[in-house]
Amino acid sequence: MGSIKIRSRQLDDYTEIKLLITHPMENGRNRDPISGALIPAHFIRDLVVELNGKIILTADLGGSMSMNPFFTFRLKRSETGDRLHVRWLDNLELSDSAEYVFE
Amino acid sequence: MLRRRFLQLIFRVTAGACATVLCAKKSLADWPEKHFSKGDFADSFQQLFGDRTIDYSEAIRLVLPEIAENGAVVPITISSDLADIQRLYIWVEKNPTPLAAEVTFDASLAVYLTARIKMAESCHVVVIAQQGEQLLRNQRWVKVMQGGCGTG
Repeated sequence: MGSIKIRSRQLDDYTEIKLLITHPMENGRNRDPISGALIPAHFIRDLVVELNGKIILTADLGGSMSMNPFFTFRLKRSETGDRLHVRWLDNLELSDSAEYVFE
Repeated sequence: MLRRRFLQLIFRVTAGACATVLCAKKSLADWPEKHFSKGDFADSFQQLFGDRTIDYSEAIRLVLPEIAENGAVVPITISSDLADIQRLYIWVEKNPTPLAAEVTFDASLAVYLTARIKMAESCHVVVIAQQGEQLLRNQRWVKVMQGGCGTG
């Protein structure tokens, strides 16, 4: 689906990774402005980040996360060719994944 | 006879592959539903941490705006120099579903995380960091000018 954007930059001591995911993150409490009907809940529940096939971060999320979730985290070190794999699963069982190779 | 064996083999391989796919899906889907249920902050907090002692610690550094114009998008930065922090919980006290996120990471990552959360109204944003068996707490008061509609 191409919902995941991954960027990295080298800091002095860390490799900083930014993750932007396109997702409505509806918590089920918003109303459609025209019909007034409740918009069903639709949010990412699980996010998993792997580095070279090993899970380094998992996040369980709720409807209190903002639309289009954006995260930054810092790897202590990365080598050229290291592979970062990101995947998410939402409450409607939709999912997406993306891979990023460090230069 | 050969055909029967072949069919049996095909069946086993297919069944195995299906099982693997199902398991893979399951491992991504073990979302702790009750942590994220609707309810009062104090009740949800109690349900998750019980009567465990939680020390306040400024070593868990929080950066949040003092005033948030738009409650739908409030940036938060959590960082710490403490070692052995494996998990962070982000709570928004007055949201209908107070727990926003539960993030677990390993030692290849520094204790540093930024995210964006929704806030229904002015309240404390509480972060709990798990360091081994110990729990550390820090919080910030955020004044929200306009609540993120349907927030929480």
